[in-house]
Amino acid sequence: MEPSSPDAPRFPFRRERPFDPPLRYAEARAAGPLSPVTLWNGRRAWLVTRHEEIRAVLTDDRRFSGAMAHPDFPTVTEARVTVDRNERAFVGMDHPEHDRYRRMFTREFSVRRMLALKPRIEAIAAGSIDEFVAHGPPADLAATLAVKFPSVVMSELVGSPYEDHRFIIDCAVGRHGLTQTPAEALEKARALAAYFRRLIDAKEAAPGDDLTSRVIESHVKPGLLSRDDFAEIGAMVLRAGHDTTTNMIGMGMLLVLRDDSLRRRLVAHPDSVDAAVEELLRYVTPVQFSPRRVALEDVEIGGVTVRKGEGLFLLLASANRDERVFAAPDRLDFARDASEHLTFGYGIHQCLGQTLARYELQVIYPALLRRLPGLRLAAPLEEIRFKDDMQIYGVHNLPVAW
Amino acid sequence: MKVHVDQKRCIGSGQCARTVPEVFDQRDEDGIVCLRTAQPDDRLAPAVRKAARHCPSQAIRIEEP
Repeated sequence: MEPSSPDAPRFPFRRERPFDPPLRYAEARAAGPLSPVTLWNGRRAWLVTRHEEIRAVLTDDRRFSGAMAHPDFPTVTEARVTVDRNERAFVGMDHPEHDRYRRMFTREFSVRRMLALKPRIEAIAAGSIDEFVAHGPPADLAATLAVKFPSVVMSELVGSPYEDHRFIIDCAVGRHGLTQTPAEALEKARALAAYFRRLIDAKEAAPGDDLTSRVIESHVKPGLLSRDDFAEIGAMVLRAGHDTTTNMIGMGMLLVLRDDSLRRRLVAHPDSVDAAVEELLRYVTPVQFSPRRVALEDVEIGGVTVRKGEGLFLLLASANRDERVFAAPDRLDFARDASEHLTFGYGIHQCLGQTLARYELQVIYPALLRRLPGLRLAAPLEEIRFKDDMQIYGVHNLPVAW
Repeated sequence: MKVHVDQKRCIGSGQCARTVPEVFDQRDEDGIVCLRTAQPDDRLAPAVRKAARHCPSQAIRIEEP
């Protein structure tokens, strides 16, 4: 193994402060568009840290591949290599194969479909908050409401029984961690795909008004999508829908409860909720080590040559703090236009469920704050455990009272 | 302003339809972009430019007069 060196430090870095990405990201942005790092296996890779270059790489499908099966695809852990090699959903594919599969699912997440779902999202939020209030105070918001609300939304959308959400989250977390062995991570990935394969069988026997039943009808039965391929895609959708929104709810509420002016703005100005959610998405950026690419040929970026076969990490959290795009980027400011943020990624792999995620967050933050005007943190910051051990950042616990 | 969309490049993120629903829509069958109007009102021009800039697959092209 090649040792790490000062000119190519070991990646990933640890955060120095819970609400900011590692300080090395800002240093890297100042030094140049690309920074070399050393990975767990001694391999070199590039960090892309500026907004403009991240957008450029993510839209250059001809010279950069997102194929997770590529032998040179860069990884943050040994377990991730195994997970990547076994990824069968379109998140790990390049154009045009990716587009063929993605298009089977885009209408399920279209803006119109999500708008039609919004009243139901509001009702689920109200019900989840009722239950949260009935059980407290005190309460651990991260373990209760932040999990429950997106889980119920996803179970209704996909048609998976709500009781299964613990299993689904366990599979997602077991695959997204930074500490699992390759065998553990693979087992969690396989278990969720097997679960979705059984769900497909159940929905074929007894269809419902849900994504799974609709895709069976439109794509599986006509022979356009195999049941096994659908199972892999379904597992991806479940993982993405459960884990990410949960982390945005926990981190978002922690930030808002620490600052009365932010809280007042969310409660008193319904018109500014959408902008506030975009700013929280920018500031938090839960996805830490994706997207990634591998160069298919030698490419020059800002005077640096990336060689064919070299890996790149497109650091969204760094793009979202880029001084060139956002003034005073480390300040959480609900009055700013944060719409340039790249929290959902960019290019053909940009998040399929982003409109759903936005609506969930636009509903849950103000609903909770209005229902519980006395909601407050019930522990000092030192007692909050941040997810430095995960590939999706957030909080493990959030003690609150009212 | 004249708006062009490339339905082959579009990946159905829906960001344009969310930003300027007066101009952009998504096809029922597959969520791919379609236009409500190719020649939007001047007052929508800034939002259309924003939608084009934010399109993740760069499937929106604008012809400015």
